[in-house]
Amino acid sequence: MDPTASLTQPALWPLTAIVFLPALVAAFLSLPIIPKAREEFIRWTSLLTMAVVFVLSLWMAWPQLFGATGPAQFRLGEPGMQAVVKLPWIDAFGIEYLLGVDGISMPLVVLTTFLSMLAAAASWPITKHVKAYHVLFLLLVTGMLGVFVSLDFFLFYVFWEVMLLPMYFLIGIWGGPRREYAAIKFFLYTLLGSVLMLLAILMLYFTSDLRLLSDDQLIAAHVVSPAVEGAARADALTAVRSAKNPVHTFNLLALAQLGQLPSSPFAAAEVWGMSLEKWAFLLLLIGFVIKVPVVPVHTWLPDAHVEAPTPISMILAGVLLKLGGYGILRICYPICPGAGLAFAWLVCGLGVVSMVYGAFAALAQKDFKRMVAYSSVSHMGYVMLGLGVWSAVAGNEYRWDAWAQGVNGAMFQMLAHGISSAGMFFMVGVLYDRVHHRNLEEFGGIFNRMPVYSGLAVAVFFAGLGLPGLCGFIGEVLVTLSSWNYSRTLAVISAFTVILTAAYILWAIQRVYLGAEYKGPHGDHLTPITARELAIAAPLVFFAILFGVAPQILFNYVTPTVNRQVETLADWTRRVHDAPPVAPAVAQRGADGVGSR
Amino acid sequence: MNLVSASWLPPLFAAGLLGEPVSVTHYLVVGAILFTAGIVCMAIKRNALGVLMGIELVLNGANVNFVAFASPYLRGEGAVSLGLDGQVIALFVILLAAAEAAVALAITLNFYNNHSTVDIDRADDLKG
Amino acid sequence: MDLSSQLPLLLGLAWLAPLASFVAILFFGPRMGQHGKNAAWVATAAILTSFVLSLVAFGGWIGSHPVQAVSHGAHGAHDSHGDEAAVGAHGAGHGPAAHSPIAYSGDWYTLYEGGNLKLSIGWYIDALTILMFVVVTFIATCIHVYASGYMHDELHDVTDHEVHLSGGGHLHRPGRFPRFFQALSLFCFSMLGIVIAGNLAMVFIFWELVGICSWFLIGFYYERKSASNAANKAFIVNRVGDFGMLIGLMALWGALGTLHFADTTTTAADGAATTQPGLFSLVRPAAGGHALRVPDGMVKFAAAKEVAQIAADHAANPADAASEVASKIDDWRSMGMGRWLLFVAGVGIFCGCVGKSAQFPLFVWLPDAMEGPTPVSALVHSATMVAAGVYLVGRFYPVLSPDVLLVIAYVGAITLFIAATIALVANDIKRVLAYSTVSQLGYMMLALGVGGWSAGLFHLVTHAFFKSLLFLCSGSVIHACHTNDMRKMGGLARVMPWTAGTMLVGCLAIIGAGIPFVIGLSGYYSKDAILAQALSFAQANPAHWILYVAVAGGAFLTAFYMFRLWFMTFAGRPRDHHIAEHAHESPAVMVAPLVALAVLAVVAGWTLPGGFGLANLLEQARPAGTESTMTGGFVFGGLTFPAEHESHEGAIHVTATLTAFTTAAAGVLLAAAMYLWRILSPTLVAYMFRPLYRFLANRWYFDELYHAVFVVPALGIAKLASSTDRGVIDKIIDGLAWSARQLAGIDAWIDRTLVDGLVNATANATWHAGLELKKLQTGHLRQYVMFIVVGTVALFVLASLLFRTTLAG
Repeated sequence: MDPTASLTQPALWPLTAIVFLPALVAAFLSLPIIPKAREEFIRWTSLLTMAVVFVLSLWMAWPQLFGATGPAQFRLGEPGMQAVVKLPWIDAFGIEYLLGVDGISMPLVVLTTFLSMLAAAASWPITKHVKAYHVLFLLLVTGMLGVFVSLDFFLFYVFWEVMLLPMYFLIGIWGGPRREYAAIKFFLYTLLGSVLMLLAILMLYFTSDLRLLSDDQLIAAHVVSPAVEGAARADALTAVRSAKNPVHTFNLLALAQLGQLPSSPFAAAEVWGMSLEKWAFLLLLIGFVIKVPVVPVHTWLPDAHVEAPTPISMILAGVLLKLGGYGILRICYPICPGAGLAFAWLVCGLGVVSMVYGAFAALAQKDFKRMVAYSSVSHMGYVMLGLGVWSAVAGNEYRWDAWAQGVNGAMFQMLAHGISSAGMFFMVGVLYDRVHHRNLEEFGGIFNRMPVYSGLAVAVFFAGLGLPGLCGFIGEVLVTLSSWNYSRTLAVISAFTVILTAAYILWAIQRVYLGAEYKGPHGDHLTPITARELAIAAPLVFFAILFGVAPQILFNYVTPTVNRQVETLADWTRRVHDAPPVAPAVAQRGADGVGSR
Repeated sequence: MNLVSASWLPPLFAAGLLGEPVSVTHYLVVGAILFTAGIVCMAIKRNALGVLMGIELVLNGANVNFVAFASPYLRGEGAVSLGLDGQVIALFVILLAAAEAAVALAITLNFYNNHSTVDIDRADDLKG
Repeated sequence: MDLSSQLPLLLGLAWLAPLASFVAILFFGPRMGQHGKNAAWVATAAILTSFVLSLVAFGGWIGSHPVQAVSHGAHGAHDSHGDEAAVGAHGAGHGPAAHSPIAYSGDWYTLYEGGNLKLSIGWYIDALTILMFVVVTFIATCIHVYASGYMHDELHDVTDHEVHLSGGGHLHRPGRFPRFFQALSLFCFSMLGIVIAGNLAMVFIFWELVGICSWFLIGFYYERKSASNAANKAFIVNRVGDFGMLIGLMALWGALGTLHFADTTTTAADGAATTQPGLFSLVRPAAGGHALRVPDGMVKFAAAKEVAQIAADHAANPADAASEVASKIDDWRSMGMGRWLLFVAGVGIFCGCVGKSAQFPLFVWLPDAMEGPTPVSALVHSATMVAAGVYLVGRFYPVLSPDVLLVIAYVGAITLFIAATIALVANDIKRVLAYSTVSQLGYMMLALGVGGWSAGLFHLVTHAFFKSLLFLCSGSVIHACHTNDMRKMGGLARVMPWTAGTMLVGCLAIIGAGIPFVIGLSGYYSKDAILAQALSFAQANPAHWILYVAVAGGAFLTAFYMFRLWFMTFAGRPRDHHIAEHAHESPAVMVAPLVALAVLAVVAGWTLPGGFGLANLLEQARPAGTESTMTGGFVFGGLTFPAEHESHEGAIHVTATLTAFTTAAAGVLLAAAMYLWRILSPTLVAYMFRPLYRFLANRWYFDELYHAVFVVPALGIAKLASSTDRGVIDKIIDGLAWSARQLAGIDAWIDRTLVDGLVNATANATWHAGLELKKLQTGHLRQYVMFIVVGTVALFVLASLLFRTTLAG
């Protein structure tokens, strides 16, 4: 047995705790010994669990805050995968319990734990089946965190599905009047995505062959743990080498290594007249963009948001949408670089269409929450555009820094949107808790009734508007600037969105917060913001400002990893894609890639 | 010998048989007559006792056949006979007939006690 | 201490002081004295600090770089200044005679860095920056002082008579005194941020921030629907301009990879310094005598296909490809590649300026912005923020190609004409001033567009003084009369002598009054410079004579509407006695700033003996390569931009001055004839030109046009998008779900009828067969016997028929 499979890996317990503590507490809470009536106890348990998990994730991400730097903690500036945990799980198929974090996933993990903590605090107004709610909520958190840290495709898929089901119930039971419709719509959409993803996973798995990788690559991909030395390492390598049949793998890092080989097995295999690489890319892309979501597979989002309770909306907008972008960044491009290059127009086009379409749709909404939901569609379009220019080439000049700017911008936009959209949904929720309606035409004068709340809300909405000094600006401007090198048309359209964004956000602010008097029902319930609400809103606003004025805090994490990945792929493009023709098929693809530019 | 073949029927009626030395065939004719009489008796008698008698006739018609087939003399030279087995089966049939008669009479008696009659046409309780 | 490190420190502090005030008032505003009364002092102290620091910086500057009369003789000395960008300490060595701007630049703070790309917060300080700092902070200080008097209503509960509640009453609300100063401080911070910005990204950041401050300030009375509408309109219209600006930024960033104005020098850990050229030296390389040319990056960008071909040819050796590309760049450049990119970049950046400086076609927001309190109109919407567009054109001047300059000139001309005509008939005192501002900004743009870099920026500075003065005076009037409508004023000069006097100074300054060739108010000098340059340009390019006509005609219109305003307000007899009786001179705290500004409105244009003056100060910052005549034009044909000093030549200068004087005098006389001496009846004139009057009074129907052309379609598309979601995409999804259910229904039907039916039918048949067979079981023994017999016989017969062969044997 692999010696590193022992339980002494430094990151094993911290990472496992971050992922599974919520599930463990969920299991505990679901025990019959916890009476349903002890709602306060359940709420506090849930909140405290999330706080502990948040602190744990912070301990990993920001060791300086806790003094000593342990081997399980994140080392800033190191681009590679850190805190890797590797245990065998299902040996027969080479499925492993393989976890790890890098500059892409670490900030997303912290964002998830942070937002989940706030969402747990925002769950106080929920009074229906409190116990079941919190059990499902904690399970959901485990699913989300698991997706971000798993490096085994199978494990990834398992977590992906784990996340789906609690969400279905959370919307379907605790939602608004049309909750069943919204929940089933959400479920079917995402299930469709997962099925296509599963298809792609199996395609990749059965085409993969670890024997194609060099020793160094095997070690870099953690197929053979770098911690193993000497004879044990040689044995492990020989075990792979001496296999008579192809050694399949679910290891995402190894799959990426395979995909970037000059003789990538994925590019070589052909299915129905198109390379398997392209099939896999498209299937995965559909799976992920449904989650992002992009037009035209976005209509689950407004319904799900409108019907979901406030904390679930926060999680949905703040974290779930990021899973799509994360998947594209982590899986689609590194594993299928050729397809990524060929379909860059698709990814960018989808992004730009979403930006404009979402903004226009937001402009027309009468429902406050629906408007915010469409703003998410529009904002996530920037993420798609930024990820898409990843494979943009200006002539044959691989200005990787321009691509890297787009991807860094997209990453930043994801994190910033996590803050601002969660904030916006919370702000809508605060009003809804008081007056029980969301009709934009029936607000007005909130600024005079709830000044502190309105000030915070306006700040959060301005962050969504992309105002400089707030977190929304940096990502948008980096993505927009980087898109010019890929396509002038798309760049102009994406720049056009700034007008629409200003229009719908300012118009909403005017209708809700400004004005002389409140026009809707339950006007007497418009009480000032409570301490609990303030404790949720204030951190969101604080981070919106902090990331706006000091974006390096996030870039310090993101940039090294993203830059290295982009450099690797730029190098791949030069080395493999545009290489002097070796085989006719390769030459054909090379010519296409250049000609389309 | 071909019992099923229809070729033996005309000589029987042509009285050619009566001129022959006694052979199995003659016994078979007697057995057939007995058997047929029994069947007819069973079919037409409404009295349960009559039916029982018909049964006896049928059984004994069969017995005649068994005995006839058992006799080596009747079978003629070189032919294979049942031998002693035929006798044994006949004895077995007699035994069986006695037992059967006892049981049947008991049923009849019971039937009579219940219905005050031995008319089997009245005994249609087993009608489906 | 070295100037190169001193200036960023001083101006940086001056820039940040208002931010500190903003933060302080944000958190502690309501607790600053009764109703936050002391917030005014906090904000004023902060901006005063900025002003003092700016003055110190200014002193330091003129100490090191004495302002002298510029001799326009010796050009051609460029070659001796290879390091013309004068980055950091290098610049200190240059005297004013050097025909390259003296500038200091550097970075404070990095927002994003990846590869060679870097977005940062930094500074670019030259004479223009310092001048703008002094002007902005000075005017802002005056306006802060003024506002602490003007806004005193906000110190206690306010009844807003313009807001009608559904209950029938007026709105009562607590005062918002600290809020006002909080926003004002944030505005000052943002505005100074634009001025000091060392790169275009930073300009864009603060560009947006002043926009949002403007939104806050216009919407200060946010209970009023009109105010919040105006605020939104201002921001959204500005965003339309920003859309263009973003395109300009992308064109620069995508091709050149930098947004820094000046070269940046980075020192690596091993001490090796590398210099990355900034925009200025990329477009006007020192090696080429600062002549404008399409930068290499843009040429390469435009020639992407050729570059790709070369790279493909040299796939084996990328170094060869790079050197071949480098050798081809000059060929490509001479073929005109990348020109459109430079054009797009220039026009794009100018689009942002069009929005912010309220130029045609985006000027519609500025008159509506007068919904804000008057000090805001004076500071934000006349003197500083709207001038930022002009400032940026001036700052960005080296990168603007001749075609872009022509676009700028025409946009300026159209703007100045349209706005002036609307101002002729406006009756709201602040709207007249607003249109006047738009018109004057058009002047500045035109000046910059015809090559008058110094003339345009000179006018920017003088205009800032007299226009803020005019606005503050109008505020004083409004404060006294509680109305904006000039038709209800009149004869106020008697009750408000200070206001009337200072406003007269302002009016004289704006029309450029002066004794020709002797002395004049500040506007006299700046307007003359513009006229002279326009004339010079028109002479060099006869096809564009209309620009000169626009300037001269504009001068006439300006004189007319300004004196119409003054006469209607202050001269004659009161039209509304109720208002006149209650009118009073404003308190000293409001009058003092008026006087201070009036003094500057008079003297700002003067040049002291020895050459100290604004014009010569600006010359120190003159962009390299603009001191000599520039020719070119890729799109609009050959254009000649005469060097500015040529417009000082006698022939042109005298003509221009006399034109200015005559047109202005004519305008004043016409205004006096109509509104002072009443020789001509304004109503009669309006009646005679009724269609024209209505056209102008409705502001050329621009609002209606834009509403119909942009707002309605945008909302229509929005509705379409939303209904597409619900009506098409959702219908498709629901339809899919529905058809899945139908399919399931068919499946269930098949199960029920076919599969189950078959099984049931078998069972049925068996059942019925059983029922039929049951009849055979009669219970009659005798029948059974018959059956047996018949059956046996039948079997025998069957067997004998079927199996004859087998049994026969």
